[in-house]
Amino acid sequence: MIKHVIARNKVTKQSMISLALSAAFALSAHAQDELSLQLNGFVDSYHALQVQSPHKIMSSRTRLRLEMRANYGEASLFSSVNLAYNSLIKDQSGAFLREAFFDYAGKYLEVKAGRQIITWGVADGLRLTDLISPMDYTEFMANDYDDIRVPVNAINLKYPGESFSAELVFVPVPEYFVMPSGEDNPWTMPLPANTSMDLSGTPEKRIKNSEVGGRLRFFLENLDFSLTALRTFNKSPVTIANFNPETKSAVIKGVYEPMNVVGGDVSIPVGEIVIRGEVAAYFGEPIALNNSRDYWLRKTFNALLGVDWYAGDNWTFMFQYMHKVIMDYREVLGTEQNTSMLTARISKELLNNTLKLSVYGMVDVDNIGFYVRPAADYLLNDQITISLGGDWLGGRRGTFKTYKKNTQIWVKGKYFF
Amino acid sequence: MKISKIAATLVVALSAMSMAQTNARDIMVKVKNRPDGDTRSSSMEMKLVNKSGNTRVRKITSYAIDVGEDTKTIMFFLYPNDVKGTGFLTVNYDDVNKEDDKWLYLPALKKTRRISGKSSKTDYFMGSDFTYDDIGKRNVDEDTHKLLREESADGFDYYVVESTPKKEGEIFSKKLVWIRKDCDVVAKVEFYDKLGKLHRQMVSSDIKKVDGFWTVGKMEMKNVQTGHSTELLFLDPKYNIQLDSKIFSVNKLERGL
Repeated sequence: MIKHVIARNKVTKQSMISLALSAAFALSAHAQDELSLQLNGFVDSYHALQVQSPHKIMSSRTRLRLEMRANYGEASLFSSVNLAYNSLIKDQSGAFLREAFFDYAGKYLEVKAGRQIITWGVADGLRLTDLISPMDYTEFMANDYDDIRVPVNAINLKYPGESFSAELVFVPVPEYFVMPSGEDNPWTMPLPANTSMDLSGTPEKRIKNSEVGGRLRFFLENLDFSLTALRTFNKSPVTIANFNPETKSAVIKGVYEPMNVVGGDVSIPVGEIVIRGEVAAYFGEPIALNNSRDYWLRKTFNALLGVDWYAGDNWTFMFQYMHKVIMDYREVLGTEQNTSMLTARISKELLNNTLKLSVYGMVDVDNIGFYVRPAADYLLNDQITISLGGDWLGGRRGTFKTYKKNTQIWVKGKYFF
Repeated sequence: MKISKIAATLVVALSAMSMAQTNARDIMVKVKNRPDGDTRSSSMEMKLVNKSGNTRVRKITSYAIDVGEDTKTIMFFLYPNDVKGTGFLTVNYDDVNKEDDKWLYLPALKKTRRISGKSSKTDYFMGSDFTYDDIGKRNVDEDTHKLLREESADGFDYYVVESTPKKEGEIFSKKLVWIRKDCDVVAKVEFYDKLGKLHRQMVSSDIKKVDGFWTVGKMEMKNVQTGHSTELLFLDPKYNIQLDSKIFSVNKLERGL
């Protein structure tokens, strides 16, 4: 049995009260301004089929996304709701509140309070300093990247300068990775017999377990850079096994430890290319031991180098290399001291940008594992996009190899309104 | 004697050629420096029509401010809804040796990307027949200019200037530019491809004064090789409006309109 890490963000009474309070605050603060309302969204339907026998349906879901914004002068209220039907994974059907926040833009201070997605850093699809909004791996990575990000309840204060900004983020109750679970989900990791997984041990909802961070950003001629500091947790759980000799069963438990992060990123355009870099030092990152029964806290150093080549004629090439080093390394640790990842994204737009061909690839260098996601997106008209693609996973070891049987092709239709 | 005559003829010819080039450059500088206020804003509507007559629409709001000889522009995409919220910030440097600074905000990723100031100039803008260069301010000295002739048509007098890019990597080998003498507005452009064949043709219309500044109300670009065309309407243009310089920032790009 696998316990869920996080209750899904179903629309609850509390979330509606939070939204109503935010609305009341916004209205009272700017009652003299004109009210404007916007309603947008889309309907999409996604269906995936396993490539290898028995050619199971890997996913079949349809959703309505509603995005509402109310503006009152410099203040606004935004909410985003998913109404979803998932024919495979039952707990993925229903109404889910995605974002709901109050936003105020003063001349010297901007405030965003409520449920929101926070993105930091310059890495593409990889996370070094971008740790506040975790990932929803319900369907592993076989989803659009923006759908994978988990919103957090946060207060975000920002000084908005012309070529400089300073940001302070406070998350009273951090969110954690959502891992695939349940027998109805083909992405749930297979476990040995008499073994269960318990990822419910996230830190208590206390102020000492809150998340706080700051970021300074600079936008200069031929150079962007930022500096970040964050007190957070390892949001992707480290797993350790507790074996019970009496029942001859094992429970794999998720471990979440507080850790401090300092880092930064840089972007430098040079001719047709843009060089991106991101670094982050994690102080107190838990690393499982190779006996899987315990873990140690270690300082780790993470670095990424990326090159984006805007080759013209609507060709874009993006390559990244990420490296992680565990400091004060000992052989008992269950991870190599040096691990690395390569990614590539290549895209080409054709037919006056109505057809986009792209491929995103990720290579787990140490495990010689790979994940490749080719896609073709065709704009039928201004409202409708149809997409065809695949997720190809494999390798010698590691997560990508485990998911080899999940290699799939998929089709998606999306209608914007 | 014969040699000195030839030399004299060459000197005269070269001087005339140099003068023609100088005049042509002066004309293009006048076009680029045509008064348009220190700040400006406009809504743009693009209609993209393919060979079969299918139409797509793009709507954009843009603001611009001059900072010395340089120009900062911020654009917000309003329609279609799949790109709504996308923002594009450019610092266009007058110095031909400096690449523009460019940032693109992608709302789906909630992320701003620093992009190359060089290559995107030759890419087509949002699937239209206009390149980023066509809708921006191309530096005069990126091309060599030659005054081909002066001509009259439709009640107006025109300079016809041939502009040839100095660098490789451009999508045109040369362009012929018709400039209205009375207002220094580009009325028509013919772009020729690398094989010297006519590739695209741009015609400006609805040329009028707004707030005392000559303004183009409509531009039509047709790719004569594919049959695809784009109509670009400039709606509600405004000049010398009050703009806070802080709106030309990545922060504003991410906040949106």
